[in-house]
Amino acid sequence: MEIEIISFGKIAEFVSNQKIDIAETTDTDNLKIHLETLFPELKAIKYKFALNNQLVQANSAIEQNDILAIMPPFSGG
Amino acid sequence: MSAERYNRQIILKGFGEAAQQQLLKAKVLVIGAGGLGCPALQYLAAAGVGHLGIVDDDTVSLSNLHRQILFTTPDIGKLKTEVAAKRLQEMNPQIGIVTHPIRLQKGNILDILSRYDYILDGTDNFESRYLINDACAILSKPLIFAAVSGFEGQLAIFNAADNLAGSTNYRDIFPVPPDKGEIPNCAENGVLGVLPGIIGTMAAAETIKLITKTGEPLRNKILNYNLLTHQQYIINISQSSDYVLPKSVAEFLNMEYQDTCEAPHGYEEIDTIALSKLREQESVILIDVREKHEVPVLDKQVFTQVPMSELNAFITKGFSQKHVVLICQHGIRSVAAAETLQEKFGNSKKIYSLKGGIVKSRDYFMRP
Repeated sequence: MEIEIISFGKIAEFVSNQKIDIAETTDTDNLKIHLETLFPELKAIKYKFALNNQLVQANSAIEQNDILAIMPPFSGG
Repeated sequence: MSAERYNRQIILKGFGEAAQQQLLKAKVLVIGAGGLGCPALQYLAAAGVGHLGIVDDDTVSLSNLHRQILFTTPDIGKLKTEVAAKRLQEMNPQIGIVTHPIRLQKGNILDILSRYDYILDGTDNFESRYLINDACAILSKPLIFAAVSGFEGQLAIFNAADNLAGSTNYRDIFPVPPDKGEIPNCAENGVLGVLPGIIGTMAAAETIKLITKTGEPLRNKILNYNLLTHQQYIINISQSSDYVLPKSVAEFLNMEYQDTCEAPHGYEEIDTIALSKLREQESVILIDVREKHEVPVLDKQVFTQVPMSELNAFITKGFSQKHVVLICQHGIRSVAAAETLQEKFGNSKKIYSLKGGIVKSRDYFMRP
């Protein structure tokens, strides 16, 4: 299954915006594990998923062509 | 109120006299008169927000001026709140401006925030952001949140219910602050001056929209803005149950809001990437605390040699640099040195120890 990834801030330095084949992964909990394997730097930073513009607060099913945003907190001013 | 001053927005279809009156009655507190706060304050004052509060305990410094556009070169060393209030009052003598030249803490924030209707967070650290978020949640004050990182910005409105759902707050997105070093700040990472200009101006626009019920303010939404591509991405925020928010003043006063950007012990262990960035700062001293016979020998023009045995004498003599980076062979003695300096200088200097020392970063020190 292919989805689109959009990332922000420091995360964009190691996860570029891309279409990615997530193989057999079908929910956000497993996608987190999958992405942290592909991009180990993710483990060292706080971030939040949003699936199709909705913040992910609980494990959610993923469908083909979904858009997953990976957002870290910003504090600068 | 002089109608002529606000004529161009009063005649605007969808705004008008009623909206102008709402601005006049509004009490807005801007926290942080920095890169975000300066443009936000300028537009809020110009637009005729009747009561503006400014919180900042800092003074103007030279490295502020590329983005903090209320300040001029002769203002260096002056209190930001005083300079900002004077400039804004000259621009619009019809509004009331109150300065709070203090650092917000658990003990004073509820009192100050309770005097205002809308809070705009333009601070530059997670400690303040979580403190402000929680205080606004307790007081049910709408919070306009603006932040930048690199070439990107985030903008959101918290504690303001929309028609569909209740209200959300920052902890619904990020339940707890990041650990030290997880997210670089502007001082370490740099920022193009115009970025907080854009995001701060957008924060002023959201504040005006919220006050006057114009358009669709970013209630329960967070906007991610990229300066390099002008791409904007809005994420809808839903409520989470995965965090602890103080429910009463007593609980609030028991919360921990230590500065997560600094280690609890008051100095920071850094790697060579952070070291490279620090070396670009204006006021840095790099101190090699190894004994004089140790190898490799570092460039004495760059690395001031102060063996541990001479450290106390060196500290007593004093030095002017604000950032102090301590380096040794393995990063162990430099931690001890950092603790010694911390005891002496407290928070008046920023103290760093190179983690793992020269041995771990041999390539960095040995390159020509």
